[in-house]
Amino acid sequence: MKTIPPPCPEPEIGPKYWRSLEQVSDTPQFRQWLEREFPAGASELTDPVSRRNFVKIMSASFLLAGLGATGCRRPVEKIYPFAKMPENYTYGVAQYFATAMPSRRGATPLVVKSNEGRPTKIEGNPDHPDSNGGTDAMTQAAVLGLYDPDRAMRATRNGFGESRAAALDYVQAVGKEAGDGTGLAFLLEQSSSPSRERLQQSLMGKFPAARWYVYEPVDLDVGRQAASLAYNSPVEPYYKLDEARVIVSLDCDFIGSEQNAHGHIRRFAKGRALETKDDSMSRLYAVESLFTLTGLNADHRLRVPPSMIVPVMARLALNVLKSSDVDQKLRDLAGPAEAHDAWIVPCAADLKANAGKSLVLAGYRLPPAAHLLVIAMNEALGAVNQTVEFHQAQVSKDGTLAELASALNAGEVRALVILGGNPAYNAPADLNWPQTQAKAKTVIRLGYYLDETSWDPAVHADTHLDLPMAHFLESWGDARTADGTIVAIQPLIDPLFGGITELEVLAVLGGIAPSSAYEIARETFRSVGGKGEDDWGKFLHDGFLADSAAPLANAQFDGAALARAVDELRAPAAAPSKEHLDLVFYRDSKVDDGRYNNNGWLQELPDPITKLTWDNAVLLSPATAKALGVFTERNSQNQKFFDFTVDVTLNGRTVRGQVWVQPGMADNTVGVALGYGREKTGRVGAGAGFNAYKLRTSDNMYYASGAALVDSHDKSYELAVTQSHWSMEGRPVIREANLDQYRKNPAFAQQMRPEQPSVVEPLYPNPLDTTKANALNQWGMSIDLNRCVGCSACMVACQSENNVPIVGKEMVGKSREMHWIRIDRYYAGPVDDPQAVAQPMLCQHCEAAPCESVCPVNATSHDDEGLNVMTYNRCVGTRYCSNNCPYKVRRFNFFDYNRRPLNHLYQSPLVMETHGEWELLRWLKNPDKGNLPEDQWQLSRLVKNPDVSVRMRGVMEKCSLCLQRIEQARIAAKVKARDSGHIRLTEADGTVPKTACQQACPAEAIIFGDISDPESRVSKAKGQERTYKVLEFLLTKPRCTYLARVRNPNPLMPDYKENPMPYTERDYINAEGAPSANGSEGGSGAQDTGKGTL
Amino acid sequence: MSDIFPKWTNRLPRNIIICALLVGTAVTGGVTYYFTPKYTRVGYEPIQPVAFPHSVHVTQLGLDCRYCHNGVEKSWYSNIPATSVCMNCHNQVLKDDPRLAVVRDSAASGRPIEWVQIHKLPDYVYFNHSVHVNRGVSCVECHGPINHMDEVYHAKPLSMTFCLNCHRAPAMHLRPLDKITDLDWVVTDNPRDWASQQLALGQGIINDWHVQSLQNCSTCHR
Repeated sequence: MKTIPPPCPEPEIGPKYWRSLEQVSDTPQFRQWLEREFPAGASELTDPVSRRNFVKIMSASFLLAGLGATGCRRPVEKIYPFAKMPENYTYGVAQYFATAMPSRRGATPLVVKSNEGRPTKIEGNPDHPDSNGGTDAMTQAAVLGLYDPDRAMRATRNGFGESRAAALDYVQAVGKEAGDGTGLAFLLEQSSSPSRERLQQSLMGKFPAARWYVYEPVDLDVGRQAASLAYNSPVEPYYKLDEARVIVSLDCDFIGSEQNAHGHIRRFAKGRALETKDDSMSRLYAVESLFTLTGLNADHRLRVPPSMIVPVMARLALNVLKSSDVDQKLRDLAGPAEAHDAWIVPCAADLKANAGKSLVLAGYRLPPAAHLLVIAMNEALGAVNQTVEFHQAQVSKDGTLAELASALNAGEVRALVILGGNPAYNAPADLNWPQTQAKAKTVIRLGYYLDETSWDPAVHADTHLDLPMAHFLESWGDARTADGTIVAIQPLIDPLFGGITELEVLAVLGGIAPSSAYEIARETFRSVGGKGEDDWGKFLHDGFLADSAAPLANAQFDGAALARAVDELRAPAAAPSKEHLDLVFYRDSKVDDGRYNNNGWLQELPDPITKLTWDNAVLLSPATAKALGVFTERNSQNQKFFDFTVDVTLNGRTVRGQVWVQPGMADNTVGVALGYGREKTGRVGAGAGFNAYKLRTSDNMYYASGAALVDSHDKSYELAVTQSHWSMEGRPVIREANLDQYRKNPAFAQQMRPEQPSVVEPLYPNPLDTTKANALNQWGMSIDLNRCVGCSACMVACQSENNVPIVGKEMVGKSREMHWIRIDRYYAGPVDDPQAVAQPMLCQHCEAAPCESVCPVNATSHDDEGLNVMTYNRCVGTRYCSNNCPYKVRRFNFFDYNRRPLNHLYQSPLVMETHGEWELLRWLKNPDKGNLPEDQWQLSRLVKNPDVSVRMRGVMEKCSLCLQRIEQARIAAKVKARDSGHIRLTEADGTVPKTACQQACPAEAIIFGDISDPESRVSKAKGQERTYKVLEFLLTKPRCTYLARVRNPNPLMPDYKENPMPYTERDYINAEGAPSANGSEGGSGAQDTGKGTL
Repeated sequence: MSDIFPKWTNRLPRNIIICALLVGTAVTGGVTYYFTPKYTRVGYEPIQPVAFPHSVHVTQLGLDCRYCHNGVEKSWYSNIPATSVCMNCHNQVLKDDPRLAVVRDSAASGRPIEWVQIHKLPDYVYFNHSVHVNRGVSCVECHGPINHMDEVYHAKPLSMTFCLNCHRAPAMHLRPLDKITDLDWVVTDNPRDWASQQLALGQGIINDWHVQSLQNCSTCHR
């Protein structure tokens, strides 16, 4: 148990921030829980094998190890050079290739690092015209998916393995038998690939009677469908959020879950960026029922149940649109939203006042008719071609899954070809898909996993062929990014398990030769990008085809379409109540619709808002949870918080899940994330969450009403939530102000601090002061909280770059997660409707680092360039450093996470068996091997970055500011310098590296660089007046500083409140009286949470 | 009492102390010598699949190190040459020599020759060849007189002390860039002047090239 810190000398200044409901209620149990460095049991061996037994066993193991005498001889290791030297390759020098990750109707342009032929790190392609090199968490984690040991590894027919050639022969035979295509049906996923479109066209010519269907469980393409109706031509909206001064989001989480979110973040952050007090920034209004990242970043947030979204939209439209014949219908629709007029009217006025610079957005959950209404509003606001552009797009006339189901039921489909997707898991429940699918005679299915849609012994078609799908890092192909630019998909590695691409299956089926994906993509490129070999070479080198962005459509808005749309919209029958709850299905921020369910990095990534890991939950607002009697409780038996397990029933279908009380959610609303509760998935995804698709039917794809919720009295399940982990003990680490306050006093953040302690002279001189005179660079970082939206891409980027292991749900529950950079999410204001703010927290690289002075073995120390570095091989695991770190950024390897299966972490080698072999014997034979199953062991090593040590059990670790990248840059500069003295890394020369988190950040919130160079970007950022240091009064002199957050609220709005902004401790006492005696805990904000920031 | 303890027991404490000191010294000395890389690594000379004599190729024939180890200036690793590099010459020279059977087999079959690794650093040490050979440190500093070896052996301890000795005082180990792969090069043949001349040369290089003698943990451990 750690020493309980003395009351924090810093008084409560400004708004009170809190991270969890337990903190607000501030129970003694919570305080006790918090005051431990790790929750109960985290630092103890609570295994049935007691500590004493463990010591016995370990002594025996060491004895055996000695007898085995493996330690006495140097093991002979072999070097295997090439037999024939490959060209343009030097062993040990990483190579980079441009490629792209396809995603529904878009793609993310990428540059992927390859070490010795294995892709190890995914980064955005900053040269792409619509990218700054930022990505999202799912893209960063895709490289782990490539090495997933649970992938489909071979073709199987009716459950029996088959060779790749035989499987493709069968596909070809099906194509030959198909004749004109009668009875042949294709079920595809959305795609932006020009090659797939070309193949589809040519197959349509060959099989004119074949039918084509497209299904996406979460269809983000509704904006395009609506725009195409509104303009009577195929067009696609493209949002220029940086141009907009006022943005209204109607249940549109454009920062978190819409198509091209990283692109939206880039543009949104650009529109919010402040450098001087004269800069202007955009204002974001959000209307939503869940608490999303967009709501977190909004200046004004209106929480309404999902059935109220359309009325609010109609009300807004009434205020925005010029009066027309649809007015009466809109008025009917908008009736229930009248209560929100105080919010809607000034919001609409702000939109109109900024006409031409304002933008209204609708989310994917809303029907096309609602999107059409939004387009009409944007037309009326003059937003078109200013803040939203409509680009020409492809026509898509494919059928829907429901149409395919009725064709199957009618027996019209003989052969069904499913390319990608997983309909047996994620089709609407009323389609009864597994049975429906089995009605086809032949099913050919291309899938990345053997999952629910694969051959099932219980229900299956006469012939069911499962083909293993190639990962995009193994495939040739092409795609279009959101702006329409064509990007190349090129493989970095041969398919590990004979994976086949969608293009190849289509070509083989259609008898198109040559059927290799390379030839297909090459052929497509000839028609769009040029015939020459040089054009193709440049395309692959750059990763994109310059000037191939989709042209502006310049279509005329069709007023009649608006009238039709308004006709289609329906006002809610009744407002939700606690008996008739509204239900929202949403795309998960991590596993998407379930496709990344088996990705450990994503499973362990805390959700940006709920901070849930490894699970989804039944989200309820605090008031609704209390009304239903399922508010979070503490279990006195095991001193754990437990969340109620409830049964959610909708139209006779029931699922069981855990309640998560989410502040800021709309009342009488249930939120459930899709993508969990998989029945057939890999080792990682198994057992995570519940399957919300079971509630979802064709008519209730995103919103439903009439859901009921009953406590199941099952108390066996615990959620692993990180929101209270690494608590900052209520110390004010966030500083924010309103825009007008910032303009009046740009240096507010520096003034919002306590009086400095009087003892400033340390007892001993800091050795860094002398050593840094010799160093060429001094590294530092600046994080702009005004740009950061909290998307968490940096967390996965860091995990990928620095070989950070996953620890599993049980370990996360014990606060043992290993992320070097975390995103702290703080709430401020009332529990029911708080504001939130996200803050990335990583090692602050203090110049006077408290961790260093307590390390008994000097394992953590400073280098000359101001980095606080960890020497793993010196660390003996006392954890003193972590106890002494005020920022709580040090992570301890409690177990050998890299070498042990996560469900066997505690198991002793005396009893454990792997592949039927006694573990200890195995270890004696080869001590370098892990206890992981062979396939996992072989594959999981491939994703590791060879430039960073893989840490073992008992070692402390933490952010190194990507030391390996700095060292590589330094070495490259020295190699280049040879006998000249020009070895300093400078931004002018472009030799300063980027850290992984900085590289991945689409908002450009993180700036790393040389603070000794006054011209560097980081020095300029640190020179801004908003700069502040977290916990500055501890005199740790952190090298990482933050730029305070500025909100831009509208004074006319009802929820506008000037932040209480006493700048100094003296001001604060004068204004609010003496700070509370107990200043150490944010929980003391409990009595006045009502008067927080709002 | 004298019956119980004979007289010699008076000397017992002194003898015990002396013995303990002697044993302690011996153990400390023994461990320091026998358990450290100076003893455990130096002299390691495994049998290689091909008896490749560096002495013939470098000293007699005058091949440059970088003809075979061509990655040394670019990579952290100095590569072992591919079989195809051997065959550049040996498809003409000694083309039927039985000692080269393994090489010919490898070239024909595409299977690598299984060389035994001699110089090996722990996984947590990130040593970069390119930055050393491009900044005045010759091969000979770490690998010893490899140009005179018939079979390669481990000549230097490559312990952390060994690295630090040079990183703390690099002057005695630096040389002009065109002499990096000339392993026999010395600043002067006169042993009496060698030390002073090498020191002067080294100091000059340190000043002119801004050679950093980095001793941070992070220089090698990440």
